[in-house]
Amino acid sequence: MVPRTNLSLNHDIVSELAACVWIPLFALRAEELRRPELSNRPAALLAPDDARRLWHVSPVARRYGVKAGITVSQAIGLCPSLTLCEPDPVYYDEQFARLLLALSNVSPVVEPVELGKVYVGVDGFDRLYGNAEQQLKAIRDAIAGRRLGPPNRRRWQRRFVNTRTRGKTGPGWASWARLGWARGKFAAWVAAAKAKSGEWTIVSDSTRSTFLATQSVAALPIQSDTHHRLWQLGIKTLADVARLPETAMVAQFGSEGRRAWRLAAGIADDPVVGRPRPEPIVAALDYLTPVADRGMLAHALGILIDRALKHPRRVGWRVHKVQTRAMLEGGASWMIEATLKDPSADREHITAPLRVHLERSPPIGAVEHLSVEFVEFAPGTAELQLFARDAQSSARAKRQHALRNAVREIRTRLKRSALYHVIEVHPWSRLPERRYALIDFEP
Amino acid sequence: MVATSRASLRVDRLRALNVPVKVTVRTDEQGLPTVVAEDGAVGEDDGRAIEEILEIWRVDDEWWRQPIARRYVDVVLVGGGHVILFEDLITHEWFMQRP
Repeated sequence: MVPRTNLSLNHDIVSELAACVWIPLFALRAEELRRPELSNRPAALLAPDDARRLWHVSPVARRYGVKAGITVSQAIGLCPSLTLCEPDPVYYDEQFARLLLALSNVSPVVEPVELGKVYVGVDGFDRLYGNAEQQLKAIRDAIAGRRLGPPNRRRWQRRFVNTRTRGKTGPGWASWARLGWARGKFAAWVAAAKAKSGEWTIVSDSTRSTFLATQSVAALPIQSDTHHRLWQLGIKTLADVARLPETAMVAQFGSEGRRAWRLAAGIADDPVVGRPRPEPIVAALDYLTPVADRGMLAHALGILIDRALKHPRRVGWRVHKVQTRAMLEGGASWMIEATLKDPSADREHITAPLRVHLERSPPIGAVEHLSVEFVEFAPGTAELQLFARDAQSSARAKRQHALRNAVREIRTRLKRSALYHVIEVHPWSRLPERRYALIDFEP
Repeated sequence: MVATSRASLRVDRLRALNVPVKVTVRTDEQGLPTVVAEDGAVGEDDGRAIEEILEIWRVDDEWWRQPIARRYVDVVLVGGGHVILFEDLITHEWFMQRP
């Protein structure tokens, strides 16, 4: 039995029933997984685009009055013991990609929205897992890396779950994840927002209207100005919005008003839209004169991976498994394969394990034809596009990699990390020693 | 006196940059620095002479907790060094900082 999915005109797979997985403060949680000591301390992440401001603030720090968006100097004034962390967007992307991979083992319809927020299509899951609660349990188990598919459904498992591509996420994520189940993404999102950490809210079709009616207009995905105007007009709940004529909302707020009204009235059609995984991508070259030199083969591998990465079908996806094949002089063949622990769109990241294989078990003869094939992919989001897909992010990842190596070397030599990052604390202070400060640099 | 941060410095916490370094300063009859030397240096030949005074200003701040009163002197040392000296007007100690 397989999940019932619909194919839209552009061949996206869609699901009307949605489960929303929401992990608030995803980036900070990722840091806590890497540095467990942060979980009990007041901690905050600096904004990736403005190191003077805070991005994510831990619940402990919030008790001191520290909020996201305030400056470092304000935060230190409120909480002198605050631990500040450098943001590491590439690492957060990797963690999120693992989460997506784990969820894609549960459902073929996965729609990432932003770091820490994903919709999972659950159409047909009743026949696989049982009721909504059991479906959510399966999702939560997948997030915790405990389970792969429905029990006693080997056929399904064979078809949809590749045991070699399990996403290991760890129980930490499951304890932070808030889950919501409903028809349509909006209702599922509101349900997830209502749930406590590690728990879920289920909104059945029969209770959907009542559930949505009592929610605040703050739940609507509209601009803050529109929220403000709705409040000024005394419209505070979704029931208040739904009571208005649709035309009145359109007259006041345009297309945004129409969408808000439809969401509030529970008639908006917002299914989860997954993307079919791309077909394998192949890049190949023929040698006029057969080549046996390992250095030349390694260089050619890099070029072929570069070429395959630029393939339009690869856009929006990270490579999870890559194969290299060669036709050898005399008719023999050679093949190596690498499964990346962290799916990547970075040339060096993909090439490194292949080079290791090449060194360990090189071709037994000269190569006439060499090909690289991306076999499996992991989905990316808009943020992943920002951080890992373009040239800039690739350069950033390379810098990060080089820094990590340098730090490792320094640690080995000095027995401690002696690298710091300069941040602006109070740049306009009349006392020079209060203008800038150092924080530990952990690339 | 230099106002200390309320936070104790520790790994993972902020470390102030450009912390003032205590120095010994010889002054002229107007109280302006003429020679600056490491803290505790007392010999005639110790220290570096000041070639030029660029600017002088005063900062009075934080009277509501631990008052700060400093007289800053922006100087160029003989040989080309550019530093900022300040006299803590409460303790009458001299410190040096980078500009």
